[in-house]
Amino acid sequence: MRNVTLAVNGKTVRCSAGTSLLDVCTAQGIDIPTLCHHPQLKPFGACRLCIVEDAKSGRIFASCVTPVAQDMEIQTHSERVVRHRRNIIRLIMAEHPESCLVCSKGNHCDLRKIAAQLGVGQTGLYPMHNYQGIEQANPFIIRDLTKCILCGKCIRADHELVAAGAIDYNHRGFDARPSTLFEQPLEKSECTFCGTCVSLCPTGALTMKNVRYVGAPQKEHESVCGFCAAGCAVSLGVTDGQVVEVTPSPRTDTVNGVTLCVRGHFAHDFLKSEHRLTSPMVKKDGEWTEISWTEALEILSQKLLSVKKEHGPRTIGFMGSSKCTNEENYLFQKIARSLLETNNIDNGGHLFGLPLAAQLDKRLGGRFRARPLKGLEQAEAIFVIGANPGNSVPVAGYHIKRAAQNGTPLIVADPLPTDLNRFAGLRLAVAPGRDLDMVNAISALLLEKKAYDASYTAENTTGFSFFRTGLSSISFERASKTTGLKLDRLEQAAEMIAGKKIAFVIGQGVLQQPKGQETLDAVVNLALITGSLENGASGIYILHRENNQLGALDMGCAPDGLPGRSSLSDEKARKTWASAWGSKMSPDPGLSLVQMIREADKGNLKALYIMGENPARSLPDPGFVKAALEKVDFLAVQDILMTETAQLADMILPGAVFAEKAGSFTNMEGRVQSFDPALPLPGAARPDWEILAMLAQKLGMDARYSEVRDIQKEIARLIPSYGEQYLASPVSWVKDAIQEDQPMAFTTPVCWDGEKPPAGFDFTAITGSVRLHLGSGTRTAQSSRIIAWDGRASIEMSPTDAASLGIEEGDAVRVVSQTGSMIGTAKLVFGFPEGLLRTPAGVAGHSLAGLLDISRTPGAVYSGCKSFPVNVEKSNET
Amino acid sequence: MKPKEIDMVKLRGIIGEYKDVKWGLIPLLQAVQEEFGYVPPESIEPIAEALNIPPSEVQGVVTFYAGFSLKPKGKYVLRVCRGTACHVKGGQSILSSVKKHLHLQEGETSEDFQFSLETVACLGACFVAPAMMVNRTYFGKLSPDKVNNVIGQYEKTEGDG
Repeated sequence: MRNVTLAVNGKTVRCSAGTSLLDVCTAQGIDIPTLCHHPQLKPFGACRLCIVEDAKSGRIFASCVTPVAQDMEIQTHSERVVRHRRNIIRLIMAEHPESCLVCSKGNHCDLRKIAAQLGVGQTGLYPMHNYQGIEQANPFIIRDLTKCILCGKCIRADHELVAAGAIDYNHRGFDARPSTLFEQPLEKSECTFCGTCVSLCPTGALTMKNVRYVGAPQKEHESVCGFCAAGCAVSLGVTDGQVVEVTPSPRTDTVNGVTLCVRGHFAHDFLKSEHRLTSPMVKKDGEWTEISWTEALEILSQKLLSVKKEHGPRTIGFMGSSKCTNEENYLFQKIARSLLETNNIDNGGHLFGLPLAAQLDKRLGGRFRARPLKGLEQAEAIFVIGANPGNSVPVAGYHIKRAAQNGTPLIVADPLPTDLNRFAGLRLAVAPGRDLDMVNAISALLLEKKAYDASYTAENTTGFSFFRTGLSSISFERASKTTGLKLDRLEQAAEMIAGKKIAFVIGQGVLQQPKGQETLDAVVNLALITGSLENGASGIYILHRENNQLGALDMGCAPDGLPGRSSLSDEKARKTWASAWGSKMSPDPGLSLVQMIREADKGNLKALYIMGENPARSLPDPGFVKAALEKVDFLAVQDILMTETAQLADMILPGAVFAEKAGSFTNMEGRVQSFDPALPLPGAARPDWEILAMLAQKLGMDARYSEVRDIQKEIARLIPSYGEQYLASPVSWVKDAIQEDQPMAFTTPVCWDGEKPPAGFDFTAITGSVRLHLGSGTRTAQSSRIIAWDGRASIEMSPTDAASLGIEEGDAVRVVSQTGSMIGTAKLVFGFPEGLLRTPAGVAGHSLAGLLDISRTPGAVYSGCKSFPVNVEKSNET
Repeated sequence: MKPKEIDMVKLRGIIGEYKDVKWGLIPLLQAVQEEFGYVPPESIEPIAEALNIPPSEVQGVVTFYAGFSLKPKGKYVLRVCRGTACHVKGGQSILSSVKKHLHLQEGETSEDFQFSLETVACLGACFVAPAMMVNRTYFGKLSPDKVNNVIGQYEKTEGDG
């Protein structure tokens, strides 16, 4: 691009044409006040505070919206400019109420800060306040629009960043205010309470609602959000040892930028839950008795060793956590494998498709592990299959919506409407569980039309001709019937992606269905024929559920996966790890999460150590799971809350939340983010890694870990995909581990006839994540503002179905499956497909898990809990 | 008396013509207003859906322009000019006689939806000041008497529906 030379405050500056004056001045380290500008929003030019003067022409420009021009002589703080800035601030303040003393924006108020910088105290102008009512019925955001200065940041964030479309300007001139449709309160609008507008608001017009007035936090602490797999960088505002607010990190290279979601902003209330565990305890005669750490570790180590001796290592189980840190998961599985010689290790990610993700990594030969979400905005087309990121991984949803708003073709395949529909060029309401046929049919159509990347497949893949032959026999008529999609819809989909490098976004709708593995394989096949994998802006994005699911996998917290995603069945890998740890290692395949429960039920599991998981709530069929856990001779639970599982334990070890300890999380992109403790530990609770380090020592491990860094050094040394970069920087990326340079192979297309639904069930329930909760909702149920919002479990259904059953909006309904039942509140959704229900996961007191059957899939991997046959009826209970 | 129910079929028909049209919002709003005399609030969401934009944005455009109204207007909309020329020529008394005759304040609509009263900054008809418009017809060189005559032409007569 052409370069331009100009002078800024007398200094000659060269920059490329098209750069804004503001950016040039900022790059020169000059501080120009702004109220409406934000680097992540498009320039707007509303507040005019950023004016600068061109001494040559005498003209005054709003620098944020003025591009540089050759030979300009810019003065940023000339007397004239400063005088005008003061006047602008005076005018803004004449409209702004004088309520600074009681305004909770406090020291975060940009208006106050700039006024002070410019020396504006009294305006000397006639005050013209535009009084509006304060809106604070919802538990999250207080809107006091009297304080609004019309900078438009909230509106632009709403449109440009999170693409919710809840607010826009309403009326004009003096009357103009950001408003929802029909000036309804936020809770009756499209607002998702992501809080991005609050983070950006330069005044007290938008503030977070706290239980009590807290003012500006005493200190801000950089950390990583502990909920979903997006791994947003957050800033924890801490006052008196408590997190009083959570805001997006001011760093710019983060996955979330200036956005967060309702969980990130408001659900961290659980950190100060009254139900935190604060002391090690053992159950004596059914009563909990507090004990010291020394006693606790003595009992724990003795129990584990005696069970190993008496019943053998295979009777001991370890459940690690997709919410605990990499370091903790590493140490946890090391204790299990090297000291107790058991491979019965898994983590909660098992329920959310982690085994499939591991399988995918194997198929891709350890390639493409780092997949930044921002790549979605550069993809040529996006194909979302079985994912509702608006609820599950909201930040991924923002990326998709932004891409679609900027013209990227978007296909959304989902049996149920999602908030991506508005952005989709094509919506495929595929029948539940039939994505496999849909993906295969689209591949077949592309092959038939020769609209595939022939050179890519020839050079980089094997088995293509085999695959093509397999697909050539596909019956489109059958596919159309099973998927419930007309052939022209499938053709339209093929047309939309033909010749493009596609980003596939895969959600639990694929991962949790009976043929999840086959469907994912079919998606890889489609990605291969379109040559979509190689490009950094396309490929396959798996929307993992929890913050450190991928990290737990990387650290070997999986029955068949050793650290670094090497395989237990690989003798070489096994030997490498055994010698690195200086221990023996059993080659016996370990039990998965569900297998451990099944073995417990049979009485074959004698000791179970659970760290940061709540299987009695998260696994299907809680009654069965609880009974199975009761049968375990010795159950130790290390957690932060008195969970349903902890209540059944023989011993409780109080662990720490991410904000109270050091460690790292690996997000769904493969980004490894380290953090330090921001909060003191409650009572006698200890960081989980410290508990494990103490236990390891007790059990006779040679290695000593006196700080997290010691574990990190070992990980960096032994796991090449983490390596040195993980030690060197608080943010690093997981590296590929390409084994041999083998081309990627096609898998044979699979056809599935579907499950025969049992007689007597008229509806199909589809499990859906909800925006306010995560996973089974153990933590979010302890978040005061989240529960203040709505404790109801909304059962979404079609108004037609509801009418035929005499159900009205808001009625209590009972959903009955073969296994159990669930009570919820009917929510009638216009355009919702008939015969389907959306049953929400994670709402406290409304156990979705009760509807599911743990014995459904006999294999190692639990799957098929995404959709299941049910009936629904009006209920008298609530 | 209430304004007529909105004919949703007609509304959907108009919206359908603009579906996915780029920059189609203002022409579409004009077409809706032309048909119904105002932009019915219940049309906002279908309009937003057809143009793939958030409903709040549609509302923002409607409320920004004085030419669009979310409230039903009378059969006849009187726009009294408050421009400088009209003011000099006694526009103030024209406005007050209209108000007095119709028993309406600015921005109001009569209960029988026969008349709405608005004022505008300038009608651009300064050469016939003081002026006002009734729907699309100009009336100039007004006097309070003439105002009564003009309004009389539009008043309901017996048997009017």
